[in-house]
Amino acid sequence: MALSAEKARKAHIAFQRFGLGCTPGQFDKVGRNAEEALFDEVRSGRIAKIPSAKLPSYAKACSDSQKGKSEDLRRKELDARVDKHLDVQIGFVERLVIFWSNHFSMTVRKSSAVRGTIGQLERDVIREHVLGDFSKMLIGVLTHPAMISYLDNDDSVGPNSEYGLQRGAGFNENLARETMELYTVGSGGGYTEEDVTNLSLMLTGWSYVRGWEADNKYNGGNSRNRGKFIFHRKWHEPGKIRLMGKVYPAKGQSQALKALRDLAAMPETAEHIAFKLVRHFITDEPTPEMVEPLKNKFLATNGDLKAVSMELLRLPEAFTAPLTKLRTPYELAIAQFRALRQRYSDDGYWSFASPLNALGNMPWEYLTPEGYPDETLFWLDPDGMTLRLETALYAGWVYDDRMKGTPVKLARDLFGGVLTRDTLERVDAANNVANALAILFCSPEFQRR
Amino acid sequence: MSDERSAGAGTDAISKAAAEGCAESRLLMSRRGVLGLSVGLYSWAFMPKFAEAASSGNDPRLLIVILRGGMDGINTVVPHGDKAYVSMRGSIALPRSATIRLDNFFGLHPALDNFGKMYRKKEAAIVHATCVPLHNRSHFDGQDNLENGQPGLASNSTGWLNRLLTGLPKGDPILAHGAIQVGEAPLILHGPAPVLGWSPSSFANMDRTTEYLIRTLYREHDKDMYQFLERGLKADALAEKVGKDDGNVSSLRRGFRGAARLLAAKTGPRIAVLSVGGWDTHSDQGGATGSFANVLSELDLGLDDFKAEAGKAWDQSVVVCATEFGRTVRVNGSDGTDHGVGTVAMLAGGAVRGGKVYGDWPGLAAPKLYDGSDLRPTTDLRSVFKGILKEHMDVPNTILDETVFPESKSVKAMKNLVRSGGKKKKKSASDAMEMFGTAPQRPEQPIARYRRGDKVSGEFSATLMENLPPVPLRPN
Repeated sequence: MALSAEKARKAHIAFQRFGLGCTPGQFDKVGRNAEEALFDEVRSGRIAKIPSAKLPSYAKACSDSQKGKSEDLRRKELDARVDKHLDVQIGFVERLVIFWSNHFSMTVRKSSAVRGTIGQLERDVIREHVLGDFSKMLIGVLTHPAMISYLDNDDSVGPNSEYGLQRGAGFNENLARETMELYTVGSGGGYTEEDVTNLSLMLTGWSYVRGWEADNKYNGGNSRNRGKFIFHRKWHEPGKIRLMGKVYPAKGQSQALKALRDLAAMPETAEHIAFKLVRHFITDEPTPEMVEPLKNKFLATNGDLKAVSMELLRLPEAFTAPLTKLRTPYELAIAQFRALRQRYSDDGYWSFASPLNALGNMPWEYLTPEGYPDETLFWLDPDGMTLRLETALYAGWVYDDRMKGTPVKLARDLFGGVLTRDTLERVDAANNVANALAILFCSPEFQRR
Repeated sequence: MSDERSAGAGTDAISKAAAEGCAESRLLMSRRGVLGLSVGLYSWAFMPKFAEAASSGNDPRLLIVILRGGMDGINTVVPHGDKAYVSMRGSIALPRSATIRLDNFFGLHPALDNFGKMYRKKEAAIVHATCVPLHNRSHFDGQDNLENGQPGLASNSTGWLNRLLTGLPKGDPILAHGAIQVGEAPLILHGPAPVLGWSPSSFANMDRTTEYLIRTLYREHDKDMYQFLERGLKADALAEKVGKDDGNVSSLRRGFRGAARLLAAKTGPRIAVLSVGGWDTHSDQGGATGSFANVLSELDLGLDDFKAEAGKAWDQSVVVCATEFGRTVRVNGSDGTDHGVGTVAMLAGGAVRGGKVYGDWPGLAAPKLYDGSDLRPTTDLRSVFKGILKEHMDVPNTILDETVFPESKSVKAMKNLVRSGGKKKKKSASDAMEMFGTAPQRPEQPIARYRRGDKVSGEFSATLMENLPPVPLRPN
């Protein structure tokens, strides 16, 4: 029995706004109670984890990334990520994983350390804490070689440290600055230039074992810790350091850990995270009425991301605001795979990667640390639109002979009662399967979220 | 899949060369830009108003070509006059008889035939022994440095060309007709000023009927998507001149052609950026022929295409080809060269004061080398860009020294690279300051606007190229 118009609308919102797209057969199932289906995903235990013996441990990823195997690691992790996206009913938690991965955006182009370990970081840090404690996620990322390498902290030395005094070495503030501006309190969050400098000093000595250090048993490197995070006590700026009005006594690595835990719990951080979640999922223009409930939940639960994510679903706008945002090219590719219930073949990776490269949305490759923007107009632009048409047709060509059933049936399966007559007629009017898929993938029902 | 369906330019020289770079650079290629490969990005921005105001009747165009991978300047513009050249270069040394004569000292790689002709017509020039300020020999850091214009490592900087555009006075009609940045815009254009992208299509040519079905679907159900798609189709129509015989050339050359057509158009953009990969010649780079020669040749054809398609606009054009670093002076054990420092910048265009190799030659003998291995940079690449922006586009020193290239006051703009250089009536510094706004060195985060109570969005402007000719909406 077909869903009522209201239930169909909510099912569509669940799959578009909060999920990764419908798969045939699921529209009516989820539509019976779309809100509850989303809550169920959040409640279902360790739904975010990717259990696989084939994927490397932290030690293995770190070591192999320093032995020229980074690209293999990246590819293996990306394949596993895509498989996981196809393995869930709606994909709300997967969307949260993508959100948090982008919150700590890095590009694999920076170094082999980032390229070889970012997938493991996402699997073991982001996925581990995506429905857990924000401060643990923050610390997990900042003590990971990928982030240390990405933001140039690996050679950051306190000027008054033992090594700093010997060599006249200095510190790098990139990691501290982005931690304040992007990862925690955010721009306008009440910190000063002095705070940035002081957090940089607290983070001196946070490094990772570069391949050459392991090879030469230099700086404490050896074959066992190759590529892993390392704290160099002799590089660490001595003494107590003040940050945002609070003094942190000298305690080696624990000094910055304490500061990061405090930053993670600040009301400005709660507001920043709440704002970003609302902007990512609901609207380009979050209002305090939408942001405050999430912020308050974050503060009341000490940054419990499961509670905060559920609060997002409870916002009045969650199921009433119109779908004015646009799927990113990556989300589009995943939605196509889910609709067709298959992904690129192992030797057809290029058919996935080249459109995403052209549209500028490969995972783990944004140019700068602020991550892929959540502003609709970043994606909705003339060149992007013509490329969306071309790449939709391209997908049609790749998958037309492998799909089951007709495009018209697929359109009905994916969108039920929300499918417009204009879209349906055009899918039906197309002169071949590839063109029909292109029209379906370009339709506003498919593109908007 | 049939041939018709396969993506990209297929077997062009750039893609072959790109497959031979070091692992890091091969991987960079996938996103950072290889127009020569399956698809490219092409972004432009509208001409700053100040140039028009400062020089009536003059309508300068600027194309920046970023050569990704680290171009071997020493075998591009060969210092035959340096006694150490032959011994240092060994198996890949080019004899004087093989190169195109530039002057008594330098010869041009023979693959740059068209560029050589431009040089003889005094429409092309070289700056030798130049480099970005950061010398750490990392592709990633070097390309960032080339594009963000900062004095050293910087983690979240805007691009210097975007900062130039951001300096436009508020309410300027050019901004009103501006454009927006595409996803894959290169870092040099990264920032708040509106930038529009265009890519030579290489995925799929949609038949007109299917396209019509989608256009009318948007027209009925999604006005925004409709408007943006229509603008994109207009830009394609202008840049690619549908029906022209562009299908048989590489997407790199289509990129150069499209750039020329867009820059030449009366209402089109005035600044464009384009990336070319394939310069990371670690092994078997060859001499007068071979993989390096093939990449140079493709670039040379692209430059010639640009000249042909620009028409009269060529006379007012400057094309700058720049790279993130040069190669080691000594040939390596694999008949290639490794990451180095000093290299060349190539300038072409009717507005270039050409026929000359600029810069001080530091020498190739072992004691003269930078860190014992590389060509010592005697000209900061920022000096070259500053010279062109100043003389070709009348950008005042104050803006160049602080906004476009921060902390670069001591890095003086090169003089007389451009024909009109020094002749134009200059506006006073105070006039210039009035015209320019400030440009942030770092992109502003949306949370900051929210906290101020401002509209959060607007980082990417919706204003577009209204003046492009319409594309008729007709089914087959």
